This record gives sequence, structure tokens and C-alpha cells, in this order.
Amino acid sequence: MRRIVIAVALVAAAAVIFIVGRGLGAEPLRVSSTGARYAVTVVVDRPTTGRVSVEVQVTSGDADTVAVSAVMPDMGHSTPELTARETAPGRFVADGELFPMSGAWEVSIRLDGPAGEEVLTVNALVTG
Amino acid sequence: MIRLLCLVAVLVLACASPAAAHNVSAGADLRIAQTIAGTELTVVIKGTARVPGPLRIGVIAFQPVAGLPVELKVRSVEDGRTVTGVARAATRDPRYTELRVERTGPHELTLRAGGEVAVVPFRVLVEHGSGAEFLIYGGFFVAGLLLVGGLLTGALSRPGRAVLLGGGAAAGVTVAVMVIVFEPMVPAGPPDGAPPVVTTQAGGRPFVQARMETVPERPAAGEEFTLRVDLVDGSTGRPVDDLAIHHEALAHVIVTSEDGRYFRHVHPLRTAPGRLEVRLRADRAGAYVAHAELEREDSGGQLLMGRFSVGGQGPESSGEGSRAAEDGEDGPGADAGDGSGAQPDAAGGGGAAPRLQPAVPVAGRPATVELDAPGSVRPWLGMGGHLIVRSRDGSFLGHVHEMGSGGSRLRFTFTFPQGGRYLAWAQYAVDDRIVTVPFTVDVTASESPR
Repeated sequence: MRRIVIAVALVAAAAVIFIVGRGLGAEPLRVSSTGARYAVTVVVDRPTTGRVSVEVQVTSGDADTVAVSAVMPDMGHSTPELTARETAPGRFVADGELFPMSGAWEVSIRLDGPAGEEVLTVNALVTG
Repeated sequence: MIRLLCLVAVLVLACASPAAAHNVSAGADLRIAQTIAGTELTVVIKGTARVPGPLRIGVIAFQPVAGLPVELKVRSVEDGRTVTGVARAATRDPRYTELRVERTGPHELTLRAGGEVAVVPFRVLVEHGSGAEFLIYGGFFVAGLLLVGGLLTGALSRPGRAVLLGGGAAAGVTVAVMVIVFEPMVPAGPPDGAPPVVTTQAGGRPFVQARMETVPERPAAGEEFTLRVDLVDGSTGRPVDDLAIHHEALAHVIVTSEDGRYFRHVHPLRTAPGRLEVRLRADRAGAYVAHAELEREDSGGQLLMGRFSVGGQGPESSGEGSRAAEDGEDGPGADAGDGSGAQPDAAGGGGAAPRLQPAVPVAGRPATVELDAPGSVRPWLGMGGHLIVRSRDGSFLGHVHEMGSGGSRLRFTFTFPQGGRYLAWAQYAVDDRIVTVPFTVDVTASESPR
């Protein structure tokens, strides 16, 4: 009888953990955006406060310069632009402090090249 | 009882989707009013329950332009995939054009009609099962199975196994009941395609600054011009591109001449991030006031105001001017216009004059405006009727909604803040047109000082 009670409790606990755990767990950011001139995939391995490394892969269009900035729409915060360096053709990396606090941010990627300038925006959830 | 509990749990799950603005999910249509090609249209996007799947888009007309083709283009912002189609405006029950979307997340709908283009950003959301239903129904299923087994085993006098099976049944019931009880307390996971959100919301986004201008800068009377509203975030200085759908529109723009004889209630098109534009035509020279009512995502409503002037002497302007001179006093009118569909003599043609209760409202106390529509009223912008109230100098604007009295009777309640003369326009939609009833309200100052 006791074993059964323990088994029941275990099953119930597993169910609760499954449901609660579903919504948790921050993941590295990897998101794409396509505009009229360029298309990018933005990768941030650890989207946290402090120094971050933002990788911008230009998947369509020929961009010469890429700059990254962020806005927290709920609070009205915005950050200065980080200029990205081209580490490989079509692959740009910007290092620096982009997110002063945790929360929901919009990352603006400003691309410039022969086709003209375009700003693409992606959403990011910053934790810790 | 258990069914009821299940139903409650399922309902709570179903209602847990985020209340954000431009989301299209199954069962939650997106409705956007647009003043395009000189007419008032409402674009309806019906969501899909799965991706890849069909988005159904229809266009409802509020003016006699049935059959007007509206070119549609849906583009995924993530991968750039584009699908196109054409919808035809219909007064009732539009035929929905199906456009197939391949993924959830941010999309853009481009509307093209009469040489005008609007780009409406939206998100395709698809609810994914939380696993709770599986646990609830699975738990009960197992419990039922084991109970029957336990009873049979008990009947065959094998108490040990019967207890074991009974215990299993109890476990199944426990799981199901625990999930039913606790699931509503646990926040549901966001649907696929939703933007990341934090649970602790700030108390609303920063204010919006509007820069209103006309193109050309000084339009001539009788000439078509564009009223442009550029929206800037007061805290970051960036364009404001997060407008929520507020009463079925990105923005409600009320354009009136200072004397109140010209009135338009229009729904500008988003032509670029943070930019709204609408085409207008004013037949008389003079000063004009534009009020824009809008709402940012996760914020409250805001009212922005701008002024512009119309110059030159159009061919019709002399006649209008003499009419104004004859009347002697300022008063609201509703010049015939494609934009609002207002009739030149709307008060006469649109039914009886409005009744005020009390006849002379007192500032600071609720007053009621009642009017009878000639036929049955159809909802427009999500409401049975709209009452726009403006002070004579244009510095005050009120937008009142009909209180849902039903039928052809419209009733509005409003507390005029100060004494004086107000210009008022009641608006409602009947079969194939929008009726605007202009009138004035004289308000006496409150006797007791506030």
C-alpha cells in the first residue's frame, strides 16, 4: 500500500515538473529577418546583460557595413550602435555591451552596401 | 462534475493566449480599418490552426464599392517567402481569399488598391498543445481501465492484484485531478510565433510625438493631398512602429475644418515604419485640425493633434463661403466626401435630429444623446455607433461609443468637461454607407465650482 502511495506521489510530481518546466529555460538566440534588400540571421549564444557577442550572418544581399543597436520598447531604453567587424564574407560580429538590463529587447541591425541602407529588427529575450 | 472541470481547464488554456495587438491565430481574427482608394474598408485576417496552413483574408466595404479589387501580398519577415492574391470588397459576408503561410512568426500584409499601398505587420500564432489534456484524459483513461480490472479481479477473489490495480487507478485519478487543479495556475506556454515577453510588464510604453504635415505642404482647395503623420517615441527618438489595433484600426484620424463644416473620420495607411498616411480633399480654404487617436502595444490610448491649412480659392469655394456667411455662425457640417461617406445633408437624409437629455447639458454631469437610424445599424469599427465631440477651438476632442441599445436606436452618454458650444458628429454604418449626423451642443457651465 505504501509503495503505491509513493508511486502515486512520484507520478504526480513528475507531471507537475513537466508542466512547470515547459515554460522555463533560456536558449541561445537564433532568429532571421528578411527585408527588401538584405536578409540576416542573428545569433547570440548567451543573450545576457554585460558583454555579448552578436553574430550577424548576411544570408541575402551584399552588405559592406553592419551596426547593431538595441531598444527596450517597454521602458523606452535605447543603446548606442556597436559596429560589427566582418570576420568572413557575409559574417559580421559585434562585441560589446548591448543589453543594460534583462527583459524583452528589440535588436536593430543596420546594414549598408551598394544596394542601400536598411534596418532589420529582431526580438530578443535577455535573462540574467 | 469532472467534465465541467475538464471544460474549465480547457477554456482557461484557450484563453491564455497573449492579448497583444497584431496577432493572428485560429479563432482570433485581426480586423483593420483602412481608408484606401477613397473608401472605407475593413480587412479581416482569419488565422490558421496549423502551419503550413491557409490564412483567410477578406475585405468588407462600408460604402457602395462592392467588387473593388484589393491586391494582397503576405510576406514572412523571417524567410522572405511571399504569397499573393486578390480580395474583392463586399458589403456583407466577403469571400475569403486563402493565402498559404508556411511558418509562424512575424509577417507583413501589403494591401494595394487605387494606386495606394499599405503595409500592415502582424504575427501568425499557432497554439501548441500543452500536454495537460493528454495527462488529464490519459489519467482518467488509465484509472477507468484499472478500476474495471480491479473490480473484475476482486470479483475473482484475488485481493492482492485487486488492490494493486485499484492503486494504479488511484494514481491515474490523482494525476488527472492534479493537472486539472494546477494547470490553470501555471502560465501557459506562448503559442508558436509569439515574440518573447517578460511577465513583469512595465506600466505602458513611452509617449508618442506626432509630426503632422501635408504633401504638398500647402494644398489648394479642391486638390487631393496626403496627410502624413510621423510618429516618434518620446524616450528613444525612434519611429514608433508598435501600434496596437485600437478599435479595429492602427489610428483613427479625425480631420475637421476649424469652423467644423468639414469632417472626416479616416483610418490612415502605414506606408513605412512609424509613418501613417491618408489621402484627403478639402473643398474650402482655411485652417484645419487633425486629431489622431492611437494606442501603443501594452499601453493605453493617446490623442495627438496637428494643424494644417488649405490655401487657394477652389472653384467651389466661393459657394461654400457664401453659405457659411449666410449661416453666420460656426457649426459642424459633413461635406460630401469619399473619405467619410458623409452625405452633404446628412442630418436630413440620415434620420431625425439627435435628442439631448437634458436638452441643455450641464458641464461635469453626464448627458445623453439619442438618435434614430433610418434602418438597422451594422457594427463599424467594432461598435454600433460613434460620437465625435469637439470644442470650438479644436483643443478638445471626445470619441464616445454607442452603448449597445440595439436596433436602430443609438444612445451615447458623455460628460462635457466645460461649458460652451461643442461641435458634434454622430456616425453609424447602415447597409452600404456610413452616415454622419452633424449637430451642435450648447453646454451650460456647472453651477457649483469643482
